[in-house]
Amino acid sequence: MTDTAQAPAPPPALDEQLAALGPREIAVGLPTYDNAATVPAVVAAVRAGLRAHFPDAAALVVNADAGSLDRTPEVLAESGVPVVLARHEAPNGARAAVPFHGVPGRDAAFRLTFDVARRVGARVLVVLEADVTSIGEAWIERLVRPAWEEKADLVLPAYARHRYEGTITSLMLAPMVRALFGRRLRHPLGGAFVLSRRLLEHVLEHLGPPTSGRDVTDLWLLGTAIAGGFCVAEAWLGPRRIESRTRTTELPSVMAQALGGLFTLMERHDALWLGVVGSEPVPALGEPAPLATAPTAVDVERLVGAFRRGVRDLVQIWELILAPETLGDVLSLDVRDATAYRFPDPLWARVVYDFALGHHYGVVHREHLLRSLVPLYLGRTAAFVNATRAVSDAGSEAALELVGAAFERQKPYLVERWR
Amino acid sequence: MSLRPAAAREWYKDAVFYEVHVKAFADGNGDGIGDFVGLTSRLDYLKDLGVDGLWILPMYPSPLRDDGYDIADFYGIHPAYGTVEDFQTFLDEAHARDLRVIADLVMNHTSDVHPWFQASRSDPASPYADYYVWSDTDARYRDARIIFIDTETSNWTFDPVRKAYYWHRFFSHQPDLNYDNPAVRAAMLDVMRFWLDRGLDGFRCDAVPYLVEREGTNCENLPETHAVLKEIRRVIEREYGGDRLLLAEANQWPADVRSYFGDGDECHMSFHFPLMPRIYLAVRLEERLPIVDIFTHTPAIPPGCQWGLFLRNHDELTLEMVTNEERAFMYHAYAQDPEMRLNLGIRRRLAPLLDNDRRRIELLNSLLLTLPGSPIVYYGDEIGMGDNVYLGDRDGVRTPMQWSRDRNAGFSAADETRLYLPVITDPVYGYQTVNVAAQAGTPSSLLNTMKRLLAARRSSLAFGRGTIEFLRPRNPRVLAYVRRYQRETLLVVNNLADSPQPVELDLRSLTGSTPVEMLGRTRFPTIGGTPYFLSLGPHGFYWFRIERPDEGDEPYGIEDTAI
Repeated sequence: MTDTAQAPAPPPALDEQLAALGPREIAVGLPTYDNAATVPAVVAAVRAGLRAHFPDAAALVVNADAGSLDRTPEVLAESGVPVVLARHEAPNGARAAVPFHGVPGRDAAFRLTFDVARRVGARVLVVLEADVTSIGEAWIERLVRPAWEEKADLVLPAYARHRYEGTITSLMLAPMVRALFGRRLRHPLGGAFVLSRRLLEHVLEHLGPPTSGRDVTDLWLLGTAIAGGFCVAEAWLGPRRIESRTRTTELPSVMAQALGGLFTLMERHDALWLGVVGSEPVPALGEPAPLATAPTAVDVERLVGAFRRGVRDLVQIWELILAPETLGDVLSLDVRDATAYRFPDPLWARVVYDFALGHHYGVVHREHLLRSLVPLYLGRTAAFVNATRAVSDAGSEAALELVGAAFERQKPYLVERWR
Repeated sequence: MSLRPAAAREWYKDAVFYEVHVKAFADGNGDGIGDFVGLTSRLDYLKDLGVDGLWILPMYPSPLRDDGYDIADFYGIHPAYGTVEDFQTFLDEAHARDLRVIADLVMNHTSDVHPWFQASRSDPASPYADYYVWSDTDARYRDARIIFIDTETSNWTFDPVRKAYYWHRFFSHQPDLNYDNPAVRAAMLDVMRFWLDRGLDGFRCDAVPYLVEREGTNCENLPETHAVLKEIRRVIEREYGGDRLLLAEANQWPADVRSYFGDGDECHMSFHFPLMPRIYLAVRLEERLPIVDIFTHTPAIPPGCQWGLFLRNHDELTLEMVTNEERAFMYHAYAQDPEMRLNLGIRRRLAPLLDNDRRRIELLNSLLLTLPGSPIVYYGDEIGMGDNVYLGDRDGVRTPMQWSRDRNAGFSAADETRLYLPVITDPVYGYQTVNVAAQAGTPSSLLNTMKRLLAARRSSLAFGRGTIEFLRPRNPRVLAYVRRYQRETLLVVNNLADSPQPVELDLRSLTGSTPVEMLGRTRFPTIGGTPYFLSLGPHGFYWFRIERPDEGDEPYGIEDTAI
């Protein structure tokens, strides 16, 4: 294959590398794919963070590379930190369909990284994104400390984001995670995470062989940790700036991947969520600092326009996915004045649940199903902007709290129809 | 802080109104007369239908000699319709469903039993003595026409108590208030405050051209009348923040009605009376000229203003605003039975006027919903209710709403002899056939078609706010126009004829765009450089949304950081 022909020579065998390094207390996982431009800064932050806050801990970086063509592993090897270079061959299809998180075959990267972390006897495994440019040494401290001190088993990042950044997360993923797993997290797909040794062992026990068809995803880790009774915490890290050529920002793709991943998880691991009732906040470390200004001007008119076009073009698909009363309510939304457009939270929860159910029962080709959710999401986002444009940060948080509460309240609707 | 101050204030521009009689809609207490309790119980139906606002016909205590337009107490609710508390509940429930409510208010006159008139006639020294227009002679204001020519012979009637003549532009039992008297103007403002304080969204102001009289004029549309309306608007705007609606009933030519908008400082809305008969005329003649012509003669209105459009209402289909020839044609076409005529009009409902021709009913609704203005649907017309021309006055079009095939059409549990008017029972329009329940369960029914049309209208602001440009295809039977608002462009094509029609439209300005039919959501061929050919079935119509080739390229502003 062309990829193979152009790829650098594979790194030395893993066993050889590990034998040379010996035991390590902190393992830093860096799944990469063409991140040569940004990875030095990430490694520098890791080194500074470890030196400043965990000076006595033996550490290593585990690089699981998806077949970079830009010498990412070589750049890492030259960075002066102890590195284990592992390589997984992401399927060509996964490389062509650029994922929102930038790393094709993230599942395989996790498996490799977890395996290495166990073999070096790590007390803490911290997985970072190789293309994040806003990382500083403080991130390492905030992420690692709770697990290092055995106060948390899974630490997830909470980023300082403007209220209109990450609306797939804030309006869909976070409310879904709250309702499904019973934990109120801000950024369940925040890219970085930390596992304690306990949790790492538990995960390795449950992940099954690569041939099992199970994807080891961020959300699976989360669900597994919660179901296993492990302590989940959040660490406030500040803004998350990304510089990537391998992440897609094409909305339908992002939606299909992120929500598709969640819906698939729901399907394959329903024992993780079906019985969960209620929710609770998780301990948060550090202080939140939301950005004050919008990253770009949000065009509500266009968002509502996209919803209108969805109503126009996708009703035949929605008829197959949405319950009749849900569809009726969606079609009744008043779209005439974009600035006054509203999308009630309970209706939104039912819409997303109907899509999860439609995915579960395969009522429409799943890719079509997920992509047809986009106009609804854009409409809901417009409604969120309308509702929060003139309110304080606290008001905006309160609005998101209501969204989460609506998902939680409507969970019986989902559970009753799931079986 | 309001998130959409301008948009919220101009809610009426996007609204579809539903005109309803309290007495005719639903009877909540089983006395045979509709009431606010009943109306409240049917709000979900109206919400589901897809209307945005309700226009309530007079609801005040009244001797009902003019169906409530003869008000005896501006501060109450007619006992048959309930109480002020019932009204408040209704209003709150409507608002809970995002339905606005405006109510009829007769400003020009009162009933002769109103305490103001009784005081005025009996005691020339009372504070109410000058509340009405009194004269020792019936020779004043001779240039004013008589409106109810079938019943009245003069605009003056002698009152034996005060021994003087009082002025009335309508029935003799409806004396005109004297708006030259500041106390009357203040009293009317207090009346309005009373209802606005309860949350009412505005008034349909009855008979506004006649408020003030001046010698040597026809006593209509006088500057002094406009001054009164401007004063009312100013006070309401100041005290209620600008989202309360004043809808003028001025049955006048558009150029005269235009003055009721002032400079955007008088009435927010006004009915477009001359359009309505011309729609019927155009469909009968199978010729677009009457409609295009009346819009040619319709002046531009101030930015905050809006026309009110209707096909039928609680009055006769008025033919005052047509020529004698047109009127003769209309009588011939729509009211051959003399019983169908009243004053200068035709007292029939929409469906019977159109011979119950479903295609024509839908076509007229297509016109109603797509021409510039806010449409007003008369209760029952959404299911094609019939009328009873043998009931007196305009009662034939005010019969009980037909909800189901149950007793009294599901309108009332009362004994049928106690109904305020009999339900329609004829074989074509009778409630056993024409009713909400039957149509709700039939996907292809007129009711469901109306819902689809209303939903499609809701999907674009251009219907309520857009400009209109009439196209001039060679085929005169086809009425086509382009509506534009901000980035949206709509194309509406109507076949006025009872036979299939081809049409070639000059759409060169839209070359490269794609018409997408709004009801079936079907994409039509892209518009090229040659005339755009369409064929329409009998009375067929298309509503197209014009999709520009570049649509979808501009950013939303959230996609880079969506996850």
